[in-house]
Amino acid sequence: MDRSRSAMRPLVLPIFLLLSLGIFSPAHAGNLIERGKKIAQEGNGLPGSTACMECHRLHGGGMPLIGSPRIAGQTKTYIEHEILGVKAGTRYAPIMAGVVNNLSQKDIRAVAAWYASVRTPKLPDVSPYDPSLVALGKRIALKGRWKKNVPACVLCHGPEGRGIPPHFPYIKGQNKGYILRQLISFAFLKRADDPQGLMRGIARRLSQKERQAVAEYFASLPPPPADGQPDPPSSRKASP
Amino acid sequence: MRHPLSLALASLLGALLPLGPLVATGQEIPAPPVSFSPPPDRKIPSGPFGDLVRKGERIFTQTGKYAGKYVGNDLTCESCHLDRGRKPYAAPLWGAYVSYPRFRSKNMKVSRLGERIQGCFRFSMNGVAPPLEGDTIRSIVAYSFWMAKGAPVGTPLVGTGMYHLPPSPHKPDPFHGKKVYEARCALCHGADGLGTVSGGEIGFPPVWGPRSYNKGAGLAKVGKLAGFIKMNMPLSKGDSLSDRDAWDVAAYVDSQPRPADPRKKS
Ligand code: HEC
Ligand code: HEC
Repeated sequence: MDRSRSAMRPLVLPIFLLLSLGIFSPAHAGNLIERGKKIAQEGNGLPGSTACMECHRLHGGGMPLIGSPRIAGQTKTYIEHEILGVKAGTRYAPIMAGVVNNLSQKDIRAVAAWYASVRTPKLPDVSPYDPSLVALGKRIALKGRWKKNVPACVLCHGPEGRGIPPHFPYIKGQNKGYILRQLISFAFLKRADDPQGLMRGIARRLSQKERQAVAEYFASLPPPPADGQPDPPSSRKASP
Repeated sequence: MRHPLSLALASLLGALLPLGPLVATGQEIPAPPVSFSPPPDRKIPSGPFGDLVRKGERIFTQTGKYAGKYVGNDLTCESCHLDRGRKPYAAPLWGAYVSYPRFRSKNMKVSRLGERIQGCFRFSMNGVAPPLEGDTIRSIVAYSFWMAKGAPVGTPLVGTGMYHLPPSPHKPDPFHGKKVYEARCALCHGADGLGTVSGGEIGFPPVWGPRSYNKGAGLAKVGKLAGFIKMNMPLSKGDSLSDRDAWDVAAYVDSQPRPADPRKKS
């Protein structure tokens, strides 16, 4: 402990200088967000780094066409957790895996702060929603499939799937291709970064048709609103 | 699920055994537990009775919204009676309906189901008892009746009430329970036990503190809580805690502050 502290001492002065010049001040959330925005726009400057906006857009709307998720307004905790999972290999993410490897802890914190702070409307999905799948998905989302030990999704993802901060992501308004692929990844591939394996068990116990149905249902809803206020009164379980 | 399975097996064996020799002993043989599944939602009839059943379900799942004046905390009936009152070992309504009237040592009286539900509002919901003949109780009783359709009356059903966890060989240890809580429960209910909110609405229910059940509630007994946790928690991962962890985490939750028992207030 002491050894490492003394080893760090030579760094203290330059850091102090940088701080006083305002070049970076980690304590300042505003600057962290600005730094994150820059990474989102340009990457972190290291060779091989890619700008997040190429796939997630600057304001986090994602790209339904290539199955890139919307990440606008997910919590910092969740975004960091996912990127760390991709880096550690605990989250199956074939596309992201090539992108985040050279991000430092601080880059990750910064870019998470940026995407947690932005809001953006939903982009059109790749194809129209199938009403019969949406209806089935809604039943599963609001009432669960308890016979197979699948609780209602809204119990963990919040009313209508708007998320329960900080660990439970919103899923309403997410693009349907992405939702379906994540459920398949939890069930069969190696997305194994979910705490206590909660999602792995649930995704495995659903049938393929049920996975499609919940994906269509949650994708058909608007994403959580820009100001973080509650949606118009939730209809949890009021209707079938 | 060792215990319920053996129960199911026992009931199967019971059904297969010839009755003759049992009857011949002249002793009263306790009826073997019977399995029961509640009817699907689509069986709720239309018309005034069906309307009352649906109203009962709404109150049950969104208690604060539809029976707010009787509720004093952030729980709903469904916070404990999972799957809208249908889940075995989470005190399902179908099991309750066929078990009343019943003598309860809690108040040394024979209670009707409606009176039992009044108790839930007073203790588990930390609120006030709705009138017995009012809409709130009537509709929850109707919902329970509908759900018990086809269940034998007065016969033990597999999954009624809470699971009876075998007595702990050790004294339940709240200090170890705290570790279990932090590893398995805090993700949802918060390290402070106060629950989690989602866009201004209640997300995960508080398990202690001013907005949780009071000290008069059934779950304020360590054994009951341990049985509930064992079979139901973490959500979708029932029967994953060891018996010992279930006892210890129940002891920890029970050691935390919550509203007083209203019978002992004045
Ligand atoms: C080449 C396209 C691409 C780039 C560039 C990219 N991502 Fe991704 N991202 C994806 C895809 C696709 C997924 C879904 C997982 C997968 O298939 O790899 C994803 C998943 C994610 C997730 C998980 C979302 C969730 O809801 O769980 C986060 C967070 C994320 N990316 C953040 C970033 C950040 C921050 C950057 C910039 C440093 C970035 N991504 C750059 C394509 C990309
Ligand atoms: C017991 C709690 C629980 C329940 C019930 C639950 N989830 Fe989840 N879900 C989680 C957790 C925790 C995560 C975050 C996993 C992580 O950190 O990687 C998650 C993540 C997800 C994701 C990935 C989100 C993203 O942005 O990548 C999807 C999609 C999802 N859940 C869908 C569902 C659906 C559909 C249901 C209902 C069938 C459901 N969940 C029910 C706990 C739950």
